[in-house]
Formats: sequence, structure tokens, C-alpha cells
Amino acid sequence: MTSPSRRRVRAIVRRNLLAQSRDPGHWFLLIVLPLVDGILFGSIGVAFGEGEDPVTFLVTGIMLFHLIWQLTLAGSFGLLEEVWTRNLMNLIATPLTEREFLKALGLVGLIRTAVSITVISLVGVVFYAVAPDSAGWVLVPSIVILLLFGWAISLFVIGMTLQYGDSAEVFSWGTLVLLMPLSGFFYPVDSLPPVLQALAAVIPLTHVFEAVQTGLETGTIAWDQIAIGLLGTIVLFGIVVWFLNRQMRRFRAEGWVTRFT
Amino acid sequence: MDTTGRPPVLHASGLRKRFGETQAVDGVDLEVSPGERVGIVGPNGAGKTTTLLMIMGAIDPDEGTIDLVGQRLPDGRGPAMEHVGFAAGYLPLPDKLTVIETLDFFGSLYGMDTPRETAAVVLDELGISHLADQRVESLSSGQGTLVGFAKAVIHRPRLVVLDEPTASLDPDVAMRVRDRLETMNAEHETTLLLTSHDMREVERLTTRVIFLRAGRIIADGPAGKVVADAGYPDLETMFLAEASRLREESL
Repeated sequence: MTSPSRRRVRAIVRRNLLAQSRDPGHWFLLIVLPLVDGILFGSIGVAFGEGEDPVTFLVTGIMLFHLIWQLTLAGSFGLLEEVWTRNLMNLIATPLTEREFLKALGLVGLIRTAVSITVISLVGVVFYAVAPDSAGWVLVPSIVILLLFGWAISLFVIGMTLQYGDSAEVFSWGTLVLLMPLSGFFYPVDSLPPVLQALAAVIPLTHVFEAVQTGLETGTIAWDQIAIGLLGTIVLFGIVVWFLNRQMRRFRAEGWVTRFT
Repeated sequence: MDTTGRPPVLHASGLRKRFGETQAVDGVDLEVSPGERVGIVGPNGAGKTTTLLMIMGAIDPDEGTIDLVGQRLPDGRGPAMEHVGFAAGYLPLPDKLTVIETLDFFGSLYGMDTPRETAAVVLDELGISHLADQRVESLSSGQGTLVGFAKAVIHRPRLVVLDEPTASLDPDVAMRVRDRLETMNAEHETTLLLTSHDMREVERLTTRVIFLRAGRIIADGPAGKVVADAGYPDLETMFLAEASRLREESL
């Protein structure tokens, strides 16, 4: 016997998967873009690097970037889809709770992430002989932190969407694009101009990628970098949860729902 | 309590809501008994939609309390909404799902065990079984409204809230929806709470009319009594007179 709450979560997951599977745009984001990114960054590594290390670093970098990005897209598109189809009021008029809705979007995000990571891993293995686990065990804590970070970005975009509607779409893909050059996905942060290096240091992702880089180079786990990345992500997550709660309170208090009817 | 001692489906007391400079709802008290058919009417900006949205917990009142099917909002919103259905003529449904998938989806949200089976029955009752496997995006606006209505009643709610329920329907289909509402009300004692700009529809469908003006209730009772007390021949004339008065005041 499934509880009503679990049925609601399952219904939202199914609705998202059905709607996304029938939208060519989602297939592009989920399959084509990871494929192109894998080939692009793998080939840049081959062209400009010496030996196998740059290729491994770049392919691992783009794989981890998509890990966060797909989760972020699932969360933010999950709500945006309801805004675009003007379905939000229909959902509000059911027993669905905010917690159930977010849980379902998180599950959709994990499914999206698994698909895109598989695509990039296959590109790495087939075209560049790069194993997805080249960085070793450091990937386990790193992936956990990256998922937490990606979900924090999702919740931020959801909070913005509640206030600004579909104008908030830019945050769904733009936030990570903004962070990408600063956090050492594809190159060590000391390649950045000095003033930006200071900024990079306060971004939790930077420390996770430093740890991944150390894993690729030495096969060891840089626990100090992992700890800083985790702590920063937990702080960010706390701030975002506070922000989202505030946005949801304002949504009901200020009648933002009327913007979606 | 109604005359048989049953608790009201809805009890709202002292509702107030302000948006910036606008006092949208200004001290509304509302009690609706099981099986009642209540229409909330009034010119644009009278506070109808804000009142409905507060009743469903989508907007928090600045002041006042709401008890919906025995649950105090906002904390009891989830359990209460299991017994409430909502349909609006102007609201589309998820376009990439088929009709049966849509009803299955909403039935699951209402916590139903086997929504697909009930969905087939509801579609049959509305005479739109042939639409079951069509994508919502391919439906005409009238068909979409009917599916939206099916969505609102799939879980056999105790209260159905309808905002402009027949707005985009042709007269024949609108009559089918009204008939269905009357049957549900008669057979299952489903309570109806609706807003509409079609005063004839309100007169036909409801047994009680609540007339709102500038966020306040100015009349409450059977349609015939409300218009007679106000000195108008019918509800439409009263509505037009109130709308005109409001327009003059705003100038």
C-alpha cells in the first residue's frame, strides 16, 4: 500500500518524465549537449595538451559540470514547466505540498544527471580512452557535494521563479555559466587573473575541483579541500533554504499566485 | 452547524486582504453548509478571486480564519484539499499529457489509489470518453474546459470550487456541465462554490448568492430575495447597476 504522499511524489516524477520525453528540447539538453560537450572538451585536451592528463582533466571536468547542471535544470525547469503551461494554480488546488513537489523534482534531477553522465562517460571511454572514475575515490565525496550544490542552485531558481515567473528562466542555466569560469572546472584557478582568484576561493565548487585535480594527479584525496567545499556548500544550502522559505511565505502573503492564473 | 447539526464545509470569519493600496477583501464572513450551492458574484475587482484563493489556501489572509472541511488553514490545507476540487474555465492543463494521463496525474495528487479507473468513469459521465487518448494540447478550448472539470471532480470531492466554469463552452456543452454539477449535488450532496459573470448561470445553478462589492458582502441569500431586496428585477440588472456605480465612483 503506497502512502498518498508517495503517490503524489511519484505522480510529479512521472508527469515531468512524460512531458520532458515528449519535448525535443529536453532531448537536446539531455543527450546532444553532453555528447557535444564531451567531444569538444576531449578534443581541446588532445589538441592543446601534452600526454593524457589534459584530456582526462577536461573530460572529468565537463562530466562533473553536467552533473550539477542537469540537476539544476531539472529543479528549475520542473517549476518553469508548470509556469509555461499555466498549470501552477491547478497544482496549488490539490493536497500537494511544497516538500513533495521539491522531492519529486530532485528525483527527476537525479535521473537526468544519470543519463547525461552516462553519455559523457561513453564519449570519454570510446573516443578518448578516459575512464569516468580516473580521479579515483575522491569522486565519491565530490559528487555528493556537487549534487548538494546543484540542488541549492535549483532551489534558488525556484525561489526566483515564484516571484518573477518565466523571466527567471535565465537563472536556470545562467547561474552555473557564471560560476563555471571561476571555479576551476576546466583549468586550475591560478590561471585566473589574481583579482578573480580571490573570488574563486570563496566558491565551494573551486575547492571540490581542486580536490578532483589532486585526485587525477596523485591518486590521493585532498580532504582539506573537500572539507572547505563541503562547509561552503552547507552554508550556501542553508542560505538558499532560508531564501526559498521566505519566497514561499511571500508567495502566499502577497498573492503572487495571481500572476500564474 | 446546519439545520441537521452537521459542521459547515466552509467557515470563514473576518477575512481581510490588502495588496498595496488596494483593500481587496474587507471583512468577509462566510459559512457554507454541506450540499449548498453558493455563487459569489460582483463586478471586476470586487474580491471574488482573492476570496476563493484564500479559501483554498493559495493566499494567506491578513486577518481572519478559515476552516475548510473541518481543517483550519493554513496548517490543515493538505488534508482539506483532498476533499476539494477546483476548476477554472480560463486555466489550461498540462499540454504534453493525454487526457487520461492528466486525470491519472491529478487523481494521484489527490491521493487516489487507482485514479485511471475512476477517470474512465468520469469521462464517460461527461460524454467525452473518446478524448481519453488525445493530447491535451490538441483539444479545443471547450473540450479542455470539460477535461478541467473532470479533473476537479475525479476524487468525488465534498466541495467543488469553480471559477468561471463554463466561460469557453458552447451553450450545449455548458448545459451538460451544469447538469453534471446538479446531479453531483443531488446524488452526493457535493457542495458547490462558484464565481461567474454569467448571471443566468448563477441563478440556475445556485441556491444562494453572495454579492461582493469592493471586498465586502453587500447581499447574501437566494438570488430571488437578493435582487428583490435591492429593488432589481434580476441578478444581471443588479450586477450591471453595481458595476456602473463602481465605474462612476472610480472616475
